[in-house]
Amino acid sequence: MGVSEKTEAQHDEMIAFLLGDGAPSPATRHWLASDEGRRELAAYGQTLGALDAVYGGTSTRLTARASRHAKRRPSRAGREPARAGRRPAHAARGGAVSAPERRVYYAEMCTPLGPLALAVTDRGLARVAFGHGDAAFAAELRRRLEADVVESPAKLTSVVAEIERYFAGKGRNIDLRVDLAAVTPFQRRVLLAARRVPAGRVVSYGDIARRIGRPRASRAVGQALGRNPVPIVIPCHRVVTSAGGLGGYTGGLGIKKKLLAIEGTYP
Amino acid sequence: MDPPASFDHIAARYQGGIRTYLVRLLGHEQDAEDVCQDAFLRAHRAFARLAPNSNTRAWLYKIATNSALSALKSRRRRTTGLCDLDLDTLPADAAAPPERREQLRAVDGAVRALPPKQRAALMQRQFQGLSYAEIGAILGCSEASARANVYQAIKKLRAALDRPQAR
Repeated sequence: MGVSEKTEAQHDEMIAFLLGDGAPSPATRHWLASDEGRRELAAYGQTLGALDAVYGGTSTRLTARASRHAKRRPSRAGREPARAGRRPAHAARGGAVSAPERRVYYAEMCTPLGPLALAVTDRGLARVAFGHGDAAFAAELRRRLEADVVESPAKLTSVVAEIERYFAGKGRNIDLRVDLAAVTPFQRRVLLAARRVPAGRVVSYGDIARRIGRPRASRAVGQALGRNPVPIVIPCHRVVTSAGGLGGYTGGLGIKKKLLAIEGTYP
Repeated sequence: MDPPASFDHIAARYQGGIRTYLVRLLGHEQDAEDVCQDAFLRAHRAFARLAPNSNTRAWLYKIATNSALSALKSRRRRTTGLCDLDLDTLPADAAAPPERREQLRAVDGAVRALPPKQRAALMQRQFQGLSYAEIGAILGCSEASARANVYQAIKKLRAALDRPQAR
């Protein structure tokens, strides 16, 4: 490439900035504001966005793709189900096009913040909601995920255990597979970026916007985080305003404050 | 630190994440499954010797990464990427304009061309939520070198954006 050492260092600082590893020096900040700096920042943002798009999917999608590569699955079965609202009324018989029946299991758990309703699919955790796992929650799942809804505490034992661990202070970063199939591409990138903010840290809406290569999209980032289907597990509560305010929160600001207090980042 | 947990408990908690990591690292589901089984077998044997208060998750990633790197060495001829990437099956980008598809293809091609250690460091940092200290411990290098591996990988991917993909 033949880049100078100075450029090399600037690129390192820019990557650090995009990954959330550190703030750029004043000199690099100045360079980032130049035409060249802006172009490079956008290119790195696009690079990370592309990496997310190709490799950041849930386990099932990745493995489905990899197995297609291995030519082990000649039929179209197992592909993403039809896009929202386009579910074929009559799937063809014989299996070639019929997607497996989509099921979602739900249950309720008690937390220090009150009851939490949880739902999983075979791909991972699809929904966390503040409140009871009641008929209204089941109806929301049916509508959003276009799936058969089954109440099943047994299917959620490992999820509940991981979240209990978090509230017991035994693990501040929740390690659970999530199913983001029902969100838009932009929202998915925002959520994956928010997921990389570790406990004990907070970032601003603008930081997330820059990390996904859309530096002017802070407002859209806020909206995307406001529709986070799996709060707590994807820690959108760690995203606050750059002015030092808390911003908003789906479960109410009281809950955001408590979550940040648990993680030691709320004064 | 966590109280001592049984191996089954640990396996149940981490197997899913490690399997996904191995798919990202090897780009091949069957290989990832084989390596995953091999890694958990090795981990099971070594579990008794694991010091109390160890970072169990990083320890498992180390075993999985070593298994994957040696599997890669013995199967170098195999393409190691999510290649033949059928971008139409990527719901996130089903409606992506052609330039965007080119970008995805270019970045995927560059991931496939990374040295395995860099690819491992990149996936650990970007998707598995591991710290540089943990990545260093997993790859047997310093924290600084772990970070350098991640940054080097990202620079290569970014350089690929400017190169038209030869297919």
